[in-house]
Amino acid sequence: MKKHSSLWVMLAAVLVLSACSSSTVERLDPQAQVDLSGEWNDTDAQLVAREMVDDALSRAWLPKFVQSNGKDPAVIVGKIKNLSHEHINTAVFIANIERELINSGEVQFVADAQRREEIRNERADQDLNASEATRKENGQEYGADFMMQGQVNTIVDVEGTTQVRFYQVNLELISLKDNRKVWIGDTKIKKLITNSTLRK
Amino acid sequence: MPKLLFIILILLAGCSAQHGSNRLAEELTYQPPQTILNALQSDQPDTTDIAQYYLNLGYLQLISGQPKSAIESLQTAKKEMQLLTATSVSETLAAGTINETFRRYSGSPTDRVMVHNMLALSYLFSDDIEGARVEMLQADVAMKTLIDGDALNGQLASTHLLTAIIYELLDERSNAFISYRFAEKIMLERGLSIPLSLQLALLRMSDKMGNNVQYRYYKNQYPSVVLPANKTHQVFSLYFDGVVDHKREASIVVPSFAGHQLIRVSVPTYPPRYTNSRHNTINDGEQSKNSGLIEDVNRIVREDLDKEYPSILLLTTTRAVAKYQLVQEAQRRDPLLGAIVNMTTLISEVADVRSWNMLPASIQFSYLETDSQNVVIELPNQGRQSINLDKAAQHVILATGLSKDVFHYQQ
Repeated sequence: MKKHSSLWVMLAAVLVLSACSSSTVERLDPQAQVDLSGEWNDTDAQLVAREMVDDALSRAWLPKFVQSNGKDPAVIVGKIKNLSHEHINTAVFIANIERELINSGEVQFVADAQRREEIRNERADQDLNASEATRKENGQEYGADFMMQGQVNTIVDVEGTTQVRFYQVNLELISLKDNRKVWIGDTKIKKLITNSTLRK
Repeated sequence: MPKLLFIILILLAGCSAQHGSNRLAEELTYQPPQTILNALQSDQPDTTDIAQYYLNLGYLQLISGQPKSAIESLQTAKKEMQLLTATSVSETLAAGTINETFRRYSGSPTDRVMVHNMLALSYLFSDDIEGARVEMLQADVAMKTLIDGDALNGQLASTHLLTAIIYELLDERSNAFISYRFAEKIMLERGLSIPLSLQLALLRMSDKMGNNVQYRYYKNQYPSVVLPANKTHQVFSLYFDGVVDHKREASIVVPSFAGHQLIRVSVPTYPPRYTNSRHNTINDGEQSKNSGLIEDVNRIVREDLDKEYPSILLLTTTRAVAKYQLVQEAQRRDPLLGAIVNMTTLISEVADVRSWNMLPASIQFSYLETDSQNVVIELPNQGRQSINLDKAAQHVILATGLSKDVFHYQQ
């Protein structure tokens, strides 16, 4: 009798356990460092952007430019290629770089090609529809002096349930006047990811 | 008695879904992909079949011309399969006592790599070649992870071929060459003959890289292949033929030693192979190229099942013993209860016949260089489709034997 009951209990437990799941939600500080899957995340994007911009602004090209031109350089962020193993949203990364550069107060910043197109469309619309006093003219755009370009690369080494992911972000600042590279920077991140062999 | 009925109902509920999916897969051979997609979308997947559902959904969306939706579905399936690489104690216990459909579908080695192929194509036809490149890098990691004492486990020539095409589109020549070589290596290890398009790719890339040693090597290997003179357009044509076989259940019912109860054992199996491979043709008015076999999907899914058999047999035996003891206990208490429990164990003994059952039966490739502004794709039983090439130099075309639709990426 006792053995019989224990079989029923085991069968019921199996059925219940195989179906159980739950989820919880907790609000976090956006600056908090949280790593779940080990993939590239907002923390990586913020850290790399800050580190790269700090490095770029501390190099000789900036005082040299200010000295010879008498103004702060205007920078535009171009394409940052994703050559990594992950679908990295480079738009977030670019936005972080733009914010860090603008907040430094040491460089001017101009809008990228896509946004310029939208603004030009708006100016064309103003040309037809806005009053003369408020209308903005074409041909008054601020031309950039430098373009920042780069790429995100990864090397992934896997053995069983353990992975080592190595990220290298390379950025370079290129003079739009003469294609000179005035600054090259890189930041590296290495992560060891160990996945569990058991789950719920 | 009520608790027994409750358990019987739960046991039976899981059995019907997998057969419904296999029935839809069979219908795909004679119904348009969009019709099967609509039928699939009208159902919600069981929690145990999420990966299988989204794999099929994503593939149908891709071949129905909805690459962005396909990305969403296939990414869901990919994440689910990644999550399920870890073992669940409760699911394994359920598989060892009731049946294997209580285990969440975690994908075969082929599924885990093939999902990257389908995602890469979905990204490509969404004009996101960078996304396609990411998928191929992930496929490379997945394939490295799957080699575990078996050099061909989860190794797909079609994945390396697609990787090579993407690298070639991005002008990463040495990477493209290495990937073409991997595709050739896997095909040779599986004893397949190398199609002309792949022979030509190896010669083309070694020549483009200026690697004379490799060029001479492949010229000796494939002496009949001649490099075409420089033409304006490159056309990489992929053809998905048919629908892969799905698993069937093989069952046997035997009386126990004393003859007091019946024991049923069920295992998944594939039907005997019936090869009826068709090819498509790409034609520019002067040249006509037949697609050549790169991946015999029907063969690799059988290889996957063969490798899984030791664990399937172990669980089947464990289950048979557990059910035998359960019936014996019930019979001791009451013969009628014993008979009912015996019936339940017979009904609940079903094989896990889930698989990515809407995949093509084979993946084929052809390559053409032409100065012509148009090429014509001739599809078996689906007629001809004309593709205009004049807007770009490089073209990737995907056609299936399931519909007239032809998908085109150009750059």
